[in-house]
Amino acid sequence: MSTPLLQLSQATVRFGGLTAVDALDLTLGERELVGLIGPNGAGKTTAFNLITGLYPPASGSVTFAGRPLAGLPPHRIVAAGIARTFQNIRLFGSLSVLDHVRVAGNLHRTAAPWQALVRLSSFRESEAAVTRRAEELLALFNLERFRDIPARSLPYGEQRRLEIVRALATRPRLLLLDEPAAGLNPQEKIELVALIQRVHREFDLTILLVEHSMKVVMGVCQRIAVLDHGKKIAEGPPAAIRRDPAVIEAYLGPDHATALFHH
Amino acid sequence: MRHPVFGLLLALILGGTLSALSDRIDPYHLDVLIGVGINVVLAVSLNLVAGHTGQFSLGHAGFMAVGAYAAAAVTIFLGPRLLGDDPPGGLAENTLFGGALLAGGLAAALAGLLVGIPSLRLRGDYLALVTLGFGEIIRVLLQNFEPLGGALGLNGIPAYTTVAWVVAAGAATVFTVGCLVRSSYGLGFLAVRDDEIAASAAGLDPARYKVVAFTVGAFFAGIAGGLFGHFKMTITPSGFDFSRSIEIVVMVILGGLGNTIGVILAAVLLTLLPEFLRPVAEYRLVLYSLLLIGLMLARPQGLFSFRTPRPAPRS
Repeated sequence: MSTPLLQLSQATVRFGGLTAVDALDLTLGERELVGLIGPNGAGKTTAFNLITGLYPPASGSVTFAGRPLAGLPPHRIVAAGIARTFQNIRLFGSLSVLDHVRVAGNLHRTAAPWQALVRLSSFRESEAAVTRRAEELLALFNLERFRDIPARSLPYGEQRRLEIVRALATRPRLLLLDEPAAGLNPQEKIELVALIQRVHREFDLTILLVEHSMKVVMGVCQRIAVLDHGKKIAEGPPAAIRRDPAVIEAYLGPDHATALFHH
Repeated sequence: MRHPVFGLLLALILGGTLSALSDRIDPYHLDVLIGVGINVVLAVSLNLVAGHTGQFSLGHAGFMAVGAYAAAAVTIFLGPRLLGDDPPGGLAENTLFGGALLAGGLAAALAGLLVGIPSLRLRGDYLALVTLGFGEIIRVLLQNFEPLGGALGLNGIPAYTTVAWVVAAGAATVFTVGCLVRSSYGLGFLAVRDDEIAASAAGLDPARYKVVAFTVGAFFAGIAGGLFGHFKMTITPSGFDFSRSIEIVVMVILGGLGNTIGVILAAVLLTLLPEFLRPVAEYRLVLYSLLLIGLMLARPQGLFSFRTPRPAPRS
């Protein structure tokens, strides 16, 4: 196997006496689509916050494309090629739908900020290119009709989609999706599965997905890692995870051999 | 003002007309007019920091003081040597004044940079306190610095400020802030205000945006200070105290945080208001406070903002 895209080795995050992520080993290869599941409070979102630089590791390391990420601030990690969405949607209250995508296109803007004051043709071209790329992305995700409305007035499902589009506008190699199906109705979940598969295919991406909806996780992931109390208790293809006794126990308690996983 | 360039044209026409008429306007109204212009520069520049970027700063008068003293020092100490026997009002004088204003702006920008960097870790009330402290430190330093006049201030500053200079500075401020905020780069100021974590997830560096806002805002506050000094012809440290900062903050809040046109209108209104309220001048700050309280109750989005009020930014 070539160099993995993302590698966590013995990565640990502590909050005071609580070990939220405990010596986690996780390896993602190029173009993999991996799920990260676990009961509430298992440390899934903490693992995301560790990868994206919001929390520093207490010990262990995070490497992306062979480069250690420790100590890099979040925006530098985005520039390195890791984009994310949030479990509780975080959109900008005063920006329109289009501007959400434009602002995330800043990493690939060719004009320097001060050029806004001189307004030469090179600046106008750079601005037009940013806007054009943003419009293209919106069109790909059927959001172009909402172009000029404030993002917070979008319907909920569209807000989730816009967050994914904003992440894609930074042109990531690795996309971290934090519970994208939360709050969606069954129909929207089916659409989300199709959307994730399409993004994975068309944008040539590696995706790490945290999700509670088994339907979504089992539907799209090639491999699943299971966290419980900050520790990885299982890892493997969806079919194996479904039958794994440790996973069933973590979700349902020790006395439940029958499973939610067998539907 | 859909496009910043139209704004510049408008300013050109306004400045030209006012300059042509300035001989016919009586000195009192000319004073008021210049005061309005200076306040527009102050309010629009603070709006970049407090409005667009959401960094509540109570030290804008401090930056103004830095600019006022730096510009006055240039014209007072360098002016006589550089000007020689050039006639007053000539090209040499105006070039000197332009250079002095630029020096004032740059000195203030440097101060803005110095305050901006340590303030990055603070937000909300804490940042307001640090900037308040900065403004007071500047004032006290100037009071005790004898080469620049100490508590008595600097006197004998040449009266170089004209309506044309003030309109030009106002236009430059509005143009710069407008262009910055409307560019794809400048959307980052708004993004940082709305949600810093989401902004960094979009690849933006919140710290850098804040420092840029502080520095650019302070630059124009410094220019306003330079204009103010060469208009009043005398400056004292106490003229740049906390209440001056509050006045500018009130203008920004009254106009609507982040709403440039509203802030300009508010600056005009709040400069004219005391002129009409001269009989009750001692109660000016009381009136300001009442105005703010009433505004928070009735129009929290600002007097001149007509968009729906946005929800409070999440932490």
